[in-house]
Amino acid sequence: MTKLSITINGRAHGPTDVRDDLSMNDFLREYLGMTGTKFGCGAAQCLSCAVIIDNPDGTSFTSPTCVVSAVSFDGKAIRTVEGHAKNGELTTLQKAFIEHFSFQCGYCTAGFLNEGQVLLERLAKTPVARADLEKTIAEALDGHICRCTGYIKYHEAVRDVILADSKRYLVANQ
Amino acid sequence: MKSELRFQFLVSVVAVAASMLAGYAVSETMPQALAGPESFASIADADTRSAAMFTELGKVLTHPRCTNCHPAGDRPRQGDLSRLHQPPVMRGADGHGLPAMRCSICHQNANFEPGRMPGHPEWHLAPREMAWEGKTVAEICAQIKDTARNGGRKPEELIHHIGEDTLVGWAWAPGAGRSPAPGTQKQAGALVEAWVKSGAACPAR
Amino acid sequence: MRPSRREFLKWVSASGITLSLSRLGAAKAAVLPPRAQLPGRGGWNPAANGAGRIDGVAKVTGAKLYASDFRASDLPGWPQNTSHAILVRAPDATHVYTGMDLARLSGALKPSVVVTAADLDKIGTRVPAFYAGDLFCPVGKTPIYMGQPVALLIFETFDAFDRARLALRDGTFVTFGEETGPVAMPDYGAYRFTRVAGATPDALDVYSPILAGWVSPGRSQMSPLPVWSPLAKETPALYSKAAAHGEKIRGELAAKNPNLLMLDREFETQSVDPMFLEPEAGLAWYSGKDESLELVLGVQSPYDAADAIAHMLGKARAPFKPARINAQFTYLGGGFGGRDHTPFVLYVALAAMFFPNHPVRLAHDRYQQFQAGIKRHAFKMRSRIGVDRATGKMLAFAADHVLDGGGLANLSGQVATVAATAAIGIYDIPKVDVTTVALHSRGVTAGSMRCYGTLQSMTALEVLVDEVATALPLDPIEFRRRNLLKPNGRTMAGNTYSVSVRTPEILDKLEKHPIWQQRAQQKSAARPGTLVGTGVACVTKDYGTGADCSLARVELSAEGRITIYCDHVEMGNGIGTALANRVAIYLGAVADEVSVARIDSYDVLGLVTSGDSYTMDQKTQDKAEKDPRWVPAISSATSASIGAHVGTHSAAEAARVIFRFGLWPAALELWSIAANDPRAKDWAKAQWKDGHLMMSGLAPLPLPLLAAKAHARNLVTGAVAHGFSRWEWSRARFPINGEQYRAEIDALAVRKGNAAFARIDRVSVRFPPTVNNQSGNTYTSACGALVRVEIERATGALRIGNAYTVFECGRALVPEVVLGQAQGGFAMAVGYALLETLPPFEGGPGNGQWNLGQYLVARGSDLPLRDLELELLPPLTPDEPPKGIAEVVMIPVVPAILNAIFDATGHRFQSLPVTANLLKGVLA
Repeated sequence: MTKLSITINGRAHGPTDVRDDLSMNDFLREYLGMTGTKFGCGAAQCLSCAVIIDNPDGTSFTSPTCVVSAVSFDGKAIRTVEGHAKNGELTTLQKAFIEHFSFQCGYCTAGFLNEGQVLLERLAKTPVARADLEKTIAEALDGHICRCTGYIKYHEAVRDVILADSKRYLVANQ
Repeated sequence: MKSELRFQFLVSVVAVAASMLAGYAVSETMPQALAGPESFASIADADTRSAAMFTELGKVLTHPRCTNCHPAGDRPRQGDLSRLHQPPVMRGADGHGLPAMRCSICHQNANFEPGRMPGHPEWHLAPREMAWEGKTVAEICAQIKDTARNGGRKPEELIHHIGEDTLVGWAWAPGAGRSPAPGTQKQAGALVEAWVKSGAACPAR
Repeated sequence: MRPSRREFLKWVSASGITLSLSRLGAAKAAVLPPRAQLPGRGGWNPAANGAGRIDGVAKVTGAKLYASDFRASDLPGWPQNTSHAILVRAPDATHVYTGMDLARLSGALKPSVVVTAADLDKIGTRVPAFYAGDLFCPVGKTPIYMGQPVALLIFETFDAFDRARLALRDGTFVTFGEETGPVAMPDYGAYRFTRVAGATPDALDVYSPILAGWVSPGRSQMSPLPVWSPLAKETPALYSKAAAHGEKIRGELAAKNPNLLMLDREFETQSVDPMFLEPEAGLAWYSGKDESLELVLGVQSPYDAADAIAHMLGKARAPFKPARINAQFTYLGGGFGGRDHTPFVLYVALAAMFFPNHPVRLAHDRYQQFQAGIKRHAFKMRSRIGVDRATGKMLAFAADHVLDGGGLANLSGQVATVAATAAIGIYDIPKVDVTTVALHSRGVTAGSMRCYGTLQSMTALEVLVDEVATALPLDPIEFRRRNLLKPNGRTMAGNTYSVSVRTPEILDKLEKHPIWQQRAQQKSAARPGTLVGTGVACVTKDYGTGADCSLARVELSAEGRITIYCDHVEMGNGIGTALANRVAIYLGAVADEVSVARIDSYDVLGLVTSGDSYTMDQKTQDKAEKDPRWVPAISSATSASIGAHVGTHSAAEAARVIFRFGLWPAALELWSIAANDPRAKDWAKAQWKDGHLMMSGLAPLPLPLLAAKAHARNLVTGAVAHGFSRWEWSRARFPINGEQYRAEIDALAVRKGNAAFARIDRVSVRFPPTVNNQSGNTYTSACGALVRVEIERATGALRIGNAYTVFECGRALVPEVVLGQAQGGFAMAVGYALLETLPPFEGGPGNGQWNLGQYLVARGSDLPLRDLELELLPPLTPDEPPKGIAEVVMIPVVPAILNAIFDATGHRFQSLPVTANLLKGVLA
């Protein structure tokens, strides 16, 4: 048993005693009832279980939760799919996913949403050239598996959000 | 023509199945042994003896535990079948992955058995010039002695790298479902040491 | 002779257990209120104007929707704690099962309950006929398939479960003794489809399945395969006739004939996993006090799941027989046929019965899903085709299919017949003879995965056709065109299509497309070290099963709010959004609430059924239909691409009734048009625009105004309808307001004003004739594909440069979903053609050690995400009914890839998948 303190979607949890061999995925789903974070493969292959980890320096990255222990998240701040919308107002990316019909069954959506959101935040800090945008999106999303829609509509949604605010996400034309 | 194809198809399936079973048996029942330097004492010729010791060490160097992260390309391999790493990850600028997918996100400080996930604090790919995948033991030998292709290490430093480095050491404690490298890290270190001290001769093949 | 798609069902099962089935609302903890699946008009409605799915908000905010999301504490009235079960399966099917190493689960890891075959014997469970085979392998027997369950272990707490599963996952927990080899079992069905056309295109067929019935050979004790010869002992007379025609066709193909180009080819396809993203999961609680079994399940076939559980427990001794089963059904994290008739639900129920008063969760992890989830059949096919060298016309075709059905029968018989009747694809071949048999094996059970059967047989066909075109030689598209079945022509079953046939148009589109036009230039302009090739394929695929049901209730409130209930399941196919859009055609607005997977909302119809709709004879049907509440079947699975066509049908019919007898008379009154005014019958001329009912020269009327008037005048404001399709819809007349109203439904109830719903007895009904069971596909959708590949010589790495698919689905209810299905079908086709494969037996998924990573599905980087062009043909008429396309869009992509590989490399692969290693091998 190890003490786990964690901030999820801005709310502090713990310290709680947690088994060292408990996965983060089970901590979220079985202990906290937060099932928006999915369990897909348990092997870091599909990334439907990915959450956002916010570093103290303001940067963020996504992490699968199925292959890592809950206690490895001690002291960390994370965001999950349940935390994107604020007061019922969806984020730009959430709306774009809906408007583009990016998903069908929706089981991979939490992972794509977190990955896409981290990408947007990364580009807002370090914009890329328009010419590199496709490659950047493709690299960011490639770890995620979608079995229903063939990825295209996720890519379109992310691309559209970026192009709609290109001053923010892209390097200005030389 | 058609029956020949059919034959090939069936054979390939069977081969995969057999090798999987073999991998399983190796990992669970009989870890491969590694001969100690003393086993080669009977070889009179110094260079031949030295080279024989490297050949023995080659069992370790060409083992999937080593070659998977000394890949020929920019993408590591995984598992006892050395299949391409999934999800697709790339070496990145520092060998620790691309910005969107860093090695350390999944591969944390230690193996996490419930997730079957191997781990070490320094998990990363060997530099491109240190690729071993697909090479013969002789080629690896030449490469490992070449400071341009061994991370600038003198032969003595290889003793430490192979015999004591903890990331290398992971290969002998890889967790369930992955067969460990042959012998022990200590034995491998002893072989390197004896090889270096005996003139670091390379096998012909 | 069509094998029954499912067991015969009744509302109250023969066991006397009361069944109640309902759609599980999102949990209270989630952002949605319990019953709503829609944001409603009050909030931002993404579905309005086609700008999103109705379940979009729930899915991007992580609401609890899927069976795997629910725990006991999420459900009102349930105990708070959830216990967890492990279904232990045998990783071996060639040795005697001797037991489990339970000693390793001691102390805190000790299961609270262990359930084995012996326990089922003690309580007297029955195995539903559809799932025949031991539910648990008894000690002392060899498992009949790899992955056959041997025990349920139930743990009171999650911690004990979590630690125990780690302790037993290494594959040595289940112990085995003596080697016996695999258990031999009878095949799952053998059929022969033979057709000999008349001398001229207009002449009657000499012989066809629809004329003579579907036939099966006799069984032989001695051989594992059926004896196809017409001369064998025990040969049924009906079969003998088909076989005699068939052998004659084969003789003609084998005869030396310089005018005939004859190719004889073998083709093999592999086993694959549907790989829907949510592993199967369920939650169950048996309350001993109430004798009530509560279930939360996510399946494509809710009605069948509940009935199978009721059958299983129907004769169990007390206290193992519940008095009531209340099953709630959730959204699915993908299905693709893998959740249609899944035996998983039986074990969920057993877990609860053996740990009474404790809610128990059973959930596969991905290893277990690979080990036990329903797979796609591996096929071995041999095909012979004879083509007249002078005219390029196909004269005869013969094929033999052998399917690996795996451990349980499941829908193997159905898959075999669907594959066989699709064996000549889009073509008109006057002489056809196809045999098919689905075999039992020790592999994992195969079932009705997306495009089941047709993917395999039409891939083999389209590759063969391409080879014939090369051999003749003739341009591949011209060759296809010469042999195309005319829209009114007869299929190999001997029937005609009853819907639009658009293959001629699709071939034209393929031919004119730049990918095809520029194939030679692109090939010669390949970059150094690479090979470039282009492939084409075109197919048509049936949708529906021949016994498809549609149940719906539509309600319109006085404020103009629309609520829809439907029995079909949302597995990502957008059924909810399609329902909302289809009802909007008649009621002028997108629904405020859509509730799917509801089987509890149609009691007022009082439906009854009897017999098996697949095998019933006409006389029986004629007699049964005299009871106005009788229908051939009540509710069917969400499968076989029927979402748009069947799933929304009854909702559309219900909405039409509300319009005709509610909103239209309300409009007449508001427009002050008297009943005897000729315009009073012009309902067909009225049109909805921006939520207003428009009639030329009259004031536009907003829906809320019309709804208020309909309520005030006690006009029709709600309707419940049932429809049944056996390759055509049932039709009936219903007396409403003194008028004989005709509709393509067989049961109707209406609500007037705010009164209760009341059933209206039909006064005449025409159910589709039972002979339709002998037809092949009469509902069909077509799809063509062009694929350009680029292959690296040195590595065999294949990249799809660009691709085009063109398809048609009648009126697209939600065009964005249709395009998404096509994109998803393309991705799944790429996986099937190039990546996905499961070894059938030892070393395959039945060993419990398979997961993604070893099993490769297409990722974004495997696909031409920016270079896939889709073209959806507009409907032939604005009101052309929707057609099913979710499956057909996948099929032609596979042979098009293979044909492109041939164009690039000169090598014809006759098995799947074509991996980079295999390509490297032939290029070396």
